[in-house]
Amino acid sequence: MTPYELLYQIALFAVTMAAVAVVAKIFSLIVGGMFRTWAPRVRAEFQKIVSITIWVIGLLFAIQQLGLRADFLLLLIGLFGVIVVIAIRDSLENIGAKYFSDVYVPFKLGDVVQVGNTSGKVIEINPITTVLLTRDSKLVSVPNSLFLREKVINKTQYAWEEIVIPITLSSVVDLPKFESEVLKSCNRMRRYLDKRFPPIMTVKRRNKRSAELVLTIMIKDPSKRNEITEELNQKISEIEDKMRRRK
Amino acid sequence: MKGLGLCVSSQTPLVRFSQSHEEIVRKYSGPNQLLDLSQMLEGEDYEFTAGGVTRMVFPLVKHMVREGISESPHWISLNPIGPEKITASGITLHHIKLETERMGGYGYTKESIWKALHGIQKEPVDSLLWRDEFVDFTYYNRLCSELAMQLDKENDFDLFYVHDFQQLPMAHMLHTLKPKIFRWHIPFDESLVPEMWKQSLSSYFNAYDVVVVSCGKYLESLRRFGYKGKAHHIYPYINQDIYKKPSRSEVEEFNHKFGISEGDRVVLVVARLDPIKGQDGAIKGFARVARDFPDAKLVVAGNGSFSSSKQGIGLSKAERWLGRLRELVRTLKMEDRMVFTGHLTHKELQVAYERCELTVLPSILEGFGLVVIESWFYKKPAIVSSMAGVAELVKHGENGFLFDPRDPNDLADKLSIMLSNQNLASVMGENGFKVSGQCYLERGVKSETEMMLNLVGGPG
Repeated sequence: MTPYELLYQIALFAVTMAAVAVVAKIFSLIVGGMFRTWAPRVRAEFQKIVSITIWVIGLLFAIQQLGLRADFLLLLIGLFGVIVVIAIRDSLENIGAKYFSDVYVPFKLGDVVQVGNTSGKVIEINPITTVLLTRDSKLVSVPNSLFLREKVINKTQYAWEEIVIPITLSSVVDLPKFESEVLKSCNRMRRYLDKRFPPIMTVKRRNKRSAELVLTIMIKDPSKRNEITEELNQKISEIEDKMRRRK
Repeated sequence: MKGLGLCVSSQTPLVRFSQSHEEIVRKYSGPNQLLDLSQMLEGEDYEFTAGGVTRMVFPLVKHMVREGISESPHWISLNPIGPEKITASGITLHHIKLETERMGGYGYTKESIWKALHGIQKEPVDSLLWRDEFVDFTYYNRLCSELAMQLDKENDFDLFYVHDFQQLPMAHMLHTLKPKIFRWHIPFDESLVPEMWKQSLSSYFNAYDVVVVSCGKYLESLRRFGYKGKAHHIYPYINQDIYKKPSRSEVEEFNHKFGISEGDRVVLVVARLDPIKGQDGAIKGFARVARDFPDAKLVVAGNGSFSSSKQGIGLSKAERWLGRLRELVRTLKMEDRMVFTGHLTHKELQVAYERCELTVLPSILEGFGLVVIESWFYKKPAIVSSMAGVAELVKHGENGFLFDPRDPNDLADKLSIMLSNQNLASVMGENGFKVSGQCYLERGVKSETEMMLNLVGGPG
C-alpha cells in the first residue's frame, strides 16, 4: 500500500467515525425528545444504549470501508455476548429487575414492604438482592427478580402518596440552579400535592461525570399519580436540556 | 491523636467587610494569595459581626485550634461583600455569595420562619414552603452544602457543625454519613411551629446526629416535637476575661458622649434593634415609674443585626424599629429621660454595664440573653423577661426578677422595687455574679468539645 493509499484509508476511517458521532448525537437527541415523559434516569440510559449501538454499527461499517472483514469481529462480539448472558443469566435477571424496580416499584430504603409471604423493613437494595429486616430481627435476602414477579405491598405510612423520581444529572449542569428550577416546577403543581410535604431533592451518589438525584413528592390523589409523574418527568427533562444548552 | 477535621457552617459570618473582594485583593495581595485577617485593619477593612458567632463560635473554634483538638478547621458562611476565602486564627473562612435576585427571596423566607418561630408572624405562613422564595432559601442551603462536600473531598472532615436555623436543611443535603451537629440558637417552642411545616422541620432535624439548644425548656420542647436523635442543652457562653472594670475617665467620657449626668441612675437595655427585643415594653414600663424616680434614665444600646446591615442582607428592620421607638418616646414625653446609644464598641459596652444600676432584658422571646450574664459580670442585677432562655438561671427575688414582657405594669412594679431598694439590688447583683460562672467560656467550650469528641469516637 502506498503512503497515499494509507493516508486515504485513515482519512476515510476518520470521516466515517465523525459521521457516526454526528448520527449518534442526533439519534440520542431524537430519543431524548420522543421519550420526555419517561423517568429521566431511564431516558438517559436508553439514550446511552442507542448511542452505543450506533457506535458499534458505525465501527463495523468503518472497518468494512477499509476493506477489512468485519465478520470475525462481529462473530467475536456475538459469541462474547452469548457467553456473558448464559453465564450470568440469573444475576442479569436480578440486575434488570433492580433497575426497573428502582424506577417503577414504589418502595425505597427504610420502607416496610411485603413481597410474597415475607415482610420487613428494607435495609439494603443491591444489584442482586433486596435485604429485609423482619419484625423478629431476621435478615431476609429477596432476589430482585421476585419484586417484578410477585405482588409487592408497601406498608409504610403515606407510601401511596409518595412519588420518587430518580434523576441522573450531568456534572456540566449546575446542581443548585437545576434543583431550584425543578422545585419551582413542583410548586406550580402544588394543588395536586400534599401541602404537608414540600418537594425535596436528595443527592444519592455522585462522581465526576454525573450526580444521581432523587426527587420526592407527595400527591393528594392516587388516581393522578401517572399524570403527575409524566408531567414532572417531562418538565425535568426540559429543564436539564435547557441548562445543558446554556452551558 | 490527629486533630479533628471540622467544618463549621453558620449563616452569619465572623466578619463584615467594608470593601469588595477586588479592593481588598488590590490592597493586600495578589489574586492567588490567601489573605489572613490579621493583615487587615479592624474598623477600616472589616468589623467583627455582633452576636453569638463572634462571641461563642469563634472562641470555640479558636480554642480547638489552639489546644490541637482541631486541625485547620473550615468555616462556611454567607458574606455578600469581601473575599471568597480568608484565614483567621488558623481557621479558613469561606464566604458564600448569594445572587442579588435570590437575596430577597432568601431574606423573606428566613424572616418569615424567624417570626413564626417567635410567634409574631402576622400573615399566614402555611404556604411558605411552597413559595418560590423558599426555593431561594433552599438554593442558599444547597450552595453551602455543595461547598461543604467539596471541602470534605479535599480535607476529609470528621464532623460538620451547622449553626443557625437558616441552615437547618443542610444535613439533608450533605451526602455523607459523617456526623452532623446542629446548634439551634433561637427559642424553640413546638407549639409555635405551623402545622404545615411540622413534617419538613421534623425531617430536617432528624437528619442531624446531635442537636444542641440553649436551655432545658427548648430541649424538652424539641423532644415533644419528635426529634429522635441525641440532644443537649448547653448554655451559651462568653469569655469573661474580656470584661474589665473601666477607668473613671472612661466612665466620664461615656457620660459626656451620651448626655448622662453624674447623678443619673441608669437603667440599661442592651439589645439588637428589633421588635422582638421588646424595647417598646421597656420604654412603657420605665415611663410608668419615671415620675417616682426623677433621677433615673433609660439607656437603650444596640443597633441592627447582620441581616439588617448594608454589608449583610440589607433588610431595613432596625431603622424602622428605631423610628417607632423614637415616636413612642415622643408620645410618652420621655425625650429627656431616654438615651439611644446605637452601636457600642466593646469598651463602651463595659462602661455601660459599669455605669448602670440595673439592666432589663425585655425580649418578647429570646433564645438565651447573654446580656444578663454580662450584667452579672459587673454585679448588676437584671430584670429578665420570663420568655428568655436565660430565665432558667434567674431565681426570682434572689439574683433578679422575672417579668411578663407583654405587661409594662409588671416591669414597672419590678423596676420600682429595684430602684427603691438599693441594698436588695446590690445583693441580687452579687448573687447573679455567682451564677454567671455557668456561662463562662471554658465551661461551654468544654461541654462542646466533649460532645464533638464523643460523637466522633475520640476521647471525651
